[in-house]
Amino acid sequence: MLIYNYLLSGWRNINHNKLFSSINILGLAIGLAAVTLITLFVRSELSYDTFWKNADTLHRSHIVFKIPGRDPFKAVSAPGPLIHALKKDYPQVTQASRVASISPAIIVGAETFIQPVSLVDKDFLTMFDLTSLSGDLSNALNDPHSLILTKELAVKYFGQEDPIGKTLSLDYDYFKRDYKITAVIENSVSNTQLPIKALALIDENDWTDRTSLFAQWFSVNAQLYFQTKKPSDLDHINATFDDFSNRNFPKLPIGGADAKPSDFITLSAMNIKDLHLHAVGSGEMTERGNATRVFIFSAIALLILIIAIINFMNLSTARASQRSKEVSLRKVMGASRSNLIFQFLGESVLVTFIALAISIGLVEIALPFYNEVLNKELVINYASTDMLQITGLALIVGILGGLYPAFVLSNFRPATVLKANKSAESSASVKLRAILVVMQFAVSIGLFISTAVVYSQMQYADKMNPGFNKDNMLLVHRIGLDVVSEKLDMLVKEIGKDPQVTAITWSNETPGNTNQNNTMIRLPGMSKDDALLMGQRGVGYDFFATYEIKVLAGRTYQKERNDTPLATAQIREGANRKSSIVINSSAARRLGFNSASDALGQSIFTSRGNPNENLEAELEIIGVVDDVHFESLRATIRPEIYNLNATWGHTLSARFNGNPDTLKANVEAIWGNAIANIPFSYSFLRQDVADMYKTEQGQAKMFAAFSGLAIFIACLGLYGLANFTATRRTKEIGIRKVMGASVFDIVKLLLWQFSKPVIIANIIAWPIAYWAMSDWLQLFVYRIDNSYILLLSAIAGIGALIIAWVTVTTNSVSVAKANPIKALRYE
Amino acid sequence: MLKIQNLSKSYRTENVETTALNNIDIEINKGEFIAIMGPSGCGKSTLLNTIGMLDSPTSGHYWFNDEDVANYSEAKLANIRKHNIGFIFQSFNLIDELTVRENIELALLYHNIPSAERKERVEKVMQQVGISHRANHMPSQLSGGQQQRVAVARAVVGDQSMILADEPTGNLDTQHGHEVMEMLQELNANGKTIVMVTHSPAHAEFATRTITLLDGQVVEPALKAVS
Ligand SMILES: Nc1ncnc2c1ncn2[C@@H]1O[C@H](COP(=O)(O)OP(=O)(O)OP(=O)(O)O)[C@@H](O)[C@H]1O
Ligand SMILES: [Mg+2]
Repeated sequence: MLIYNYLLSGWRNINHNKLFSSINILGLAIGLAAVTLITLFVRSELSYDTFWKNADTLHRSHIVFKIPGRDPFKAVSAPGPLIHALKKDYPQVTQASRVASISPAIIVGAETFIQPVSLVDKDFLTMFDLTSLSGDLSNALNDPHSLILTKELAVKYFGQEDPIGKTLSLDYDYFKRDYKITAVIENSVSNTQLPIKALALIDENDWTDRTSLFAQWFSVNAQLYFQTKKPSDLDHINATFDDFSNRNFPKLPIGGADAKPSDFITLSAMNIKDLHLHAVGSGEMTERGNATRVFIFSAIALLILIIAIINFMNLSTARASQRSKEVSLRKVMGASRSNLIFQFLGESVLVTFIALAISIGLVEIALPFYNEVLNKELVINYASTDMLQITGLALIVGILGGLYPAFVLSNFRPATVLKANKSAESSASVKLRAILVVMQFAVSIGLFISTAVVYSQMQYADKMNPGFNKDNMLLVHRIGLDVVSEKLDMLVKEIGKDPQVTAITWSNETPGNTNQNNTMIRLPGMSKDDALLMGQRGVGYDFFATYEIKVLAGRTYQKERNDTPLATAQIREGANRKSSIVINSSAARRLGFNSASDALGQSIFTSRGNPNENLEAELEIIGVVDDVHFESLRATIRPEIYNLNATWGHTLSARFNGNPDTLKANVEAIWGNAIANIPFSYSFLRQDVADMYKTEQGQAKMFAAFSGLAIFIACLGLYGLANFTATRRTKEIGIRKVMGASVFDIVKLLLWQFSKPVIIANIIAWPIAYWAMSDWLQLFVYRIDNSYILLLSAIAGIGALIIAWVTVTTNSVSVAKANPIKALRYE
Repeated sequence: MLKIQNLSKSYRTENVETTALNNIDIEINKGEFIAIMGPSGCGKSTLLNTIGMLDSPTSGHYWFNDEDVANYSEAKLANIRKHNIGFIFQSFNLIDELTVRENIELALLYHNIPSAERKERVEKVMQQVGISHRANHMPSQLSGGQQQRVAVARAVVGDQSMILADEPTGNLDTQHGHEVMEMLQELNANGKTIVMVTHSPAHAEFATRTITLLDGQVVEPALKAVS
C-alpha cells in the first residue's frame, strides 16, 4: 500500500512539472535506447564463432611475409602444403582442413549461377558441427563428386524438389565436373567468419596445373583450420612455429645463403573465437570486425549512459531544492528520513521505467536503419534474457540517478528551510552539479571532435587524387573465364563502338580489387640475392590512357608498336627474348634512378615460373608512370611493374560519358548476345573505390549518430538546468532589475554562468581528443594534418558555446523580461 | 515632484477584474515624507509600484518631474527609475548568494560608475546605517533588522532623490522598526522625498503627511492632525 502511495505521489510529481519531467524522461529514454543499440552491436561482435561445439580447440593459421623495404604482407590464409606438415609435425593437431573459396559457374540444367563454393578437406565435417536438414553428413563428402548445399542454395537451384541425389556441374574455368548433392545443411548464421554456402572436397590432383592454389609454399590462397587435443596446445604451436617454418619452408630466393625462412616468414595461429575481432591480414571470406571499434563503441555507450544519468541527477537535485518546503513539511508531519528516501527513489525509478518503455520504442524504430549501416541483422529478443538485462540496466540507472537527490532531499532541515526564505540547497550540491555539467560537456565536445576528425579523413580520402580518374568508369567483371576471354577482342570492339564509351581497356586488377602479386627484380650486375621484391600487375593496351594515369616519361603499351608480352613458356624454351616494361615512379626510385627519364631504356630482370626453375626475363623500361592508389590510403604505395596482358584480364574497364544506366544496359545487352551461360557482372569504379572505406564510413556514421545523441542529451539537460536556474533566480533577477539592470544585463549574467562550464569542458576535452584522434589518424599513411584536429576542436568548442547560449537565452529572456514585482511579490 | 491624476489600475485574471486603484489624484512635493495607510488589499502596494514605475497604470496621468510617464515604454521607465528612485521592501529582498557589501554595490552596478568610486560609496553608506562590521556576511547570517538596514543602505547608495518603502517595518519588532523609521526620518531631513506604506499608526507619525486608501480610492485626510 505504501508502495502504491509512493507511486501515486511520484506520478503526481511527474505530472506537476511537465517540462522538467519530459526533459528528464526524454533524455533518459534516448540514453537507454543508444546504450541498448550499442549493446546489441557489441554483443553480436563478441559472439562470432563461439557457437561451434569445438570452438575452444579450433584454430586458424595466419602468415606474415616480411619483405625488406616493403610493408609486411599479412594473410589469414596459408600455403597449401602447410596442412600436411602441420599434421605430420604436431601430434597435438588431431584434424585439419583447408577452406578455399572459389567461384565457379554452377550449371543447373539450362541455368548458370556464379556462386562461391568452399573447397575443404575431409576433416572439415568432423571439426565443424554443421546442422544437416537432409542427407547423412558423415558420408556426405566421401568423394570429389559430392556437394553439400545450404537450404538457401538448394531451394534456389531445385525449388521444392528433394535435392538429395540430384546433379549439377561446376565449371571451374580450368576444368568442369558433375556433382551429386549428398546433403542439405542449415543456412549459415551471420556471426561467423566461415559463411559456408556450398561444400565440396579438395582433390589436389584436379589442380596440378594451378599449383598456386594447394601446392605452393609461397602462395596463400586457402585458409587453414585445425583442431588440437586441448585448447592450450595453441600456445605450444605458436611458440614453436618458427622452428617449424625453418624445417618445412623451402629456402627463399632473398637474403643470401645464411637466411632462414623464419627471417622472412612468421606463422601464427589464432583460436576461432578470436578471429572476427583480432585476426589481421587479407584473405578473409567475409568482413571482419574490429576490436578497437567494439571498444570505442562500448566506451561511447558508457559515456552516453553517464551523460543520461548525470542529466537525471542534475535535474532531480535541482528540482529537489524547489521541493524543500514540501519535504520540510512532511518531516514536520512525522515522515522519517528513510520514508523520504524511498519516496524519492520510487519516483526516480518510476521515471526510469517510463523512459525505458519509450526507449524500447525508439530502438525498434532505429533498428532497421542501424542494421543497414552496420550490415547486420540485430534484433531485440523479447522472450530471452534481453528484456531482463535492459530492465536491470534501467533499474540501475533509476537508482543511481535517484540516490543522490533522495539523500539531498531527505537531508533538508525543516528549521532552516521554513525559517529562512532561501533555497535550501547546500553549496556542495551546487558544486557537484557544476562538475557534472562540465563532465557532460567535456564528453560531448570530445565526441564531436572525434566524429569531425573521422568525417574529415573520409572526405579527404574521397577528394584525394588517387592518381587516376575514378569517375565515369564502368567495370565489367569475369572476363577472365575461358568462355569469355575467347571473345575478349570482340567484346572490346563491340563495347568500344558504343557512342558513350571514350576509351576501353582490360586488366587483371582494378583499384579496390587488388591482389598481392610480387616478383623479384634485379638490375644487370646485381646478384640474385640482392634482388628487390616488387609488386606486379597485368594491364591491357591503353590501360594508362583509359585510367588517365599520368605518364612521367617514355610511353605505355601500344598495339601499333607491336608490344607483346613475353610468355614464361618461351623463356623456358630458351628463347630469352627481350621484352618491354612499364614501371611506376616508386619502382624507378627503388631501382636507384634519379629521374623517370633516367630509367628509360634501362634493362631489368624479373624472375618467372616456379621459384626453383630459376627463370628470368629481360625487360626494357619503356615508360614510367605516376604512383597511383590502387589500394586504400591505409597502404603505402609500393614500387610496382606493369606487365602487358595482350589478350587476357579479369576486368574490362570502359571510360564513358553520359548516363551510366543507359551504358550499363547497352553493355549488358552486348554481353548477353556474345556470352551464353555466364551472368553479366559489373560495377562502377567510383563505388569500388568508396567501398574500400566502407568500414570507416559505417563507423563514421555510427560515431556521428551516437555523438549527436550524446550532445543532444547534454543540451536537453542544459536546457532543463537553465530553465531551473532562471526560475530559481527570479527573485534575484527581480531585485537586479529594480536596481536598474536591463534585460540584456540579466541575459548576459545567465549566459556567463553557463559559459564557464562549457569553457572548462573544452579545456578538458581538447587534449584528450587530440591525443586519441592523432593516434587514430596514424592508421592512414595518407591523412589529414594533425592541425586539423585543432581547427575542428575550435569549431566544436565554439559550437558548444553557441548551443549553450541559444539554450540559455531561449530560457532566460522571458524571465529577464518579466515584471520584477511579480517575482518580489510572493516571497 | 510628482502628480497623479485620474489614475486607475485594474488587474484582469481569468475573467475577474480587480480594480486596485480607482480614479486617484495625488500630488507629492519634493522633500515630503508621505505615509500611505489603509486596510489590507486596498491598493497601497499597487500605488507604490505605480509611483515607482514598476507597474504601469491602466488609465490616467502620472507626471514625474513634469514628464507624463503614464504611457512610457518599459525601457524608458526603467531608465527614469534607475536615476530617481530607490526601493525598500518589507521582505528585504536581498540576494542570498551575495555578501552585504555586494548587495549594496548592486544598486550602483548598472549605473556606469567606476569600481573605485562604487567601493567608496558603499563603505560610506554602510557606515551611515551602521552595518560596516557585517560587510562580508551573507544576508542569511543577519537579523531582520540588520537585513533591513542593508536594504536601506542599498536604497540610498545610488543617491536617488526619492525612496519608496513598502512596509519597511512589517517584518521587524518594535525596536528595530523604530530604528528604521529614525533612519528614514534622517534621510528625509537630508532632503530625500520618501513615500512609505505602513500599517502602523505610530510609524505613520514619522511622516509629514498621511494618505489613506480605501478600496482603491483616497480617503480625505479628515482625521489627520496637520502638523
Ligand atoms: N498582480 C495582480 N493580479 C491580480 N490582482 C492583483 C495583483 N496585484 C494586486 N492585486 C489585487 O489588487 C488589490 C490591491 O492589492 P495591493 O497589493 O495593492 O494591496 P495592499 O493594499 O498592498 O494590501 P496589503 O496591505 O495586504 O499589502 C488586491 O485586491 C489584490 O488582490
Ligand atoms: Mg501591500
